[in-house]
Amino acid sequence: MAEDFSDKLSEGKLDLVPMIDCIMLLLLFFILTTKFTAEEKAIASLLPTDKGQAPTPQTKPVEPPKQINICIFPETMGKGFQPSEYQNKLQALKKDGPGGEILANALMRIGGDEPMMVVGAQMKVRGSLELQKLMDGVHTYIFQALAQRENASAATRKDQDPVVINCFSGLSWKFAIIAYDAVREYEAVKAGSKMASDPKMWGQAREIEFAPPRIRNYSAKELGEELYEIVNMQ
Amino acid sequence: MIGGHRKSKHVLAFADADVDLVPMIDCIFLLLLFFMLCGRITIDQRVEQITVPPTKTATKPEIPAGWEHYVINVYGSTQGGHPPRNTVRINNQNFTSSGQDDYQSYIKLRQVLDQLYDRSEKLPDTKNPALMLPKVVLEIRADADTEYRVVQEIQQVVSDSIDPNNGMKPHAVDPKLMKPFVYLLFTTRKPTDK
Repeated sequence: MAEDFSDKLSEGKLDLVPMIDCIMLLLLFFILTTKFTAEEKAIASLLPTDKGQAPTPQTKPVEPPKQINICIFPETMGKGFQPSEYQNKLQALKKDGPGGEILANALMRIGGDEPMMVVGAQMKVRGSLELQKLMDGVHTYIFQALAQRENASAATRKDQDPVVINCFSGLSWKFAIIAYDAVREYEAVKAGSKMASDPKMWGQAREIEFAPPRIRNYSAKELGEELYEIVNMQ
Repeated sequence: MIGGHRKSKHVLAFADADVDLVPMIDCIFLLLLFFMLCGRITIDQRVEQITVPPTKTATKPEIPAGWEHYVINVYGSTQGGHPPRNTVRINNQNFTSSGQDDYQSYIKLRQVLDQLYDRSEKLPDTKNPALMLPKVVLEIRADADTEYRVVQEIQQVVSDSIDPNNGMKPHAVDPKLMKPFVYLLFTTRKPTDK
């Protein structure tokens, strides 16, 4: 056997076909199953205009600052109910709902303005006309509302009243970020250029915050209370 | 030659055993090695795919020199009809919470952030110089359908405002004890991105 192998080797007649078969199979497997994922840092990101939500020291003045509230709450939860009624409505939705995303649509409102509807399904289809229309609608709504509330006495953008996004915690993240996006674009237009990418410069821009959680130690029993506060917030 | 066929005089030597296979094998080995080393098999990652929400102002982050950049991935639809669970990933480590009252993922996230804070370069906060802020940009990359509550809580854990080890209650306000990360980005995509 050993002699056969050495004979073939010396004669250059070694059968390479099985090896090539195996290699071809491996190659095909890796070509078909491999995906070169983009570096996470290369994915488009949204630069905040504020430094986040670091707690402020207790020595600061206690009086609440003037702020512009953007309230986002489920479409089916309008004004005129008590916290317990909101709680019951949410429980009924979870119990009898179709499953999946039970709070599919949201209402967005700034101060006492008329709310606008944000249809969650329109945000799912990438590159669609519906998505473009929805985003244009949200941006126009927020642009108009913020333009009406411009503080003429503010010397810089940082002196403008801060914008706080109050989104119901049971809704999807996409509803909160779309509001943030519109405010950010408004500020970019007002500042004359895109926001500086240097984090050290972010402190000079207008404050745009996501409101801290209303329920510190989260409990589903308190959702009605949270919803009541957001729906009735000015 | 109408209606006829010219017979080729050239005969290919297919049957010739002396065809040199060595260059082909060399190429195949190189290709194989390339895919084995550079590729990433994604079969198990499909369940963890994140679809970030669309925004008009999505931009690529430009991290200044001397600053560090970390990504916090937040997976999972926590909407009704599914168990309220979420998974947080940072530095290739996954941390999962199994319910609304389970803060394991936040506790582990805070541990990683504490280590990151201790070893990173810092600068004083302009509003409160006693508070030292790490020169780290944290990017929160959350799925569009993740419950807003989860993103909200992660923001609070990151800024060290609440203590996940103590039932998510407000953290001590002594600046010397705090380890906040305040430079945050949110990953989004352009509406036209496919």
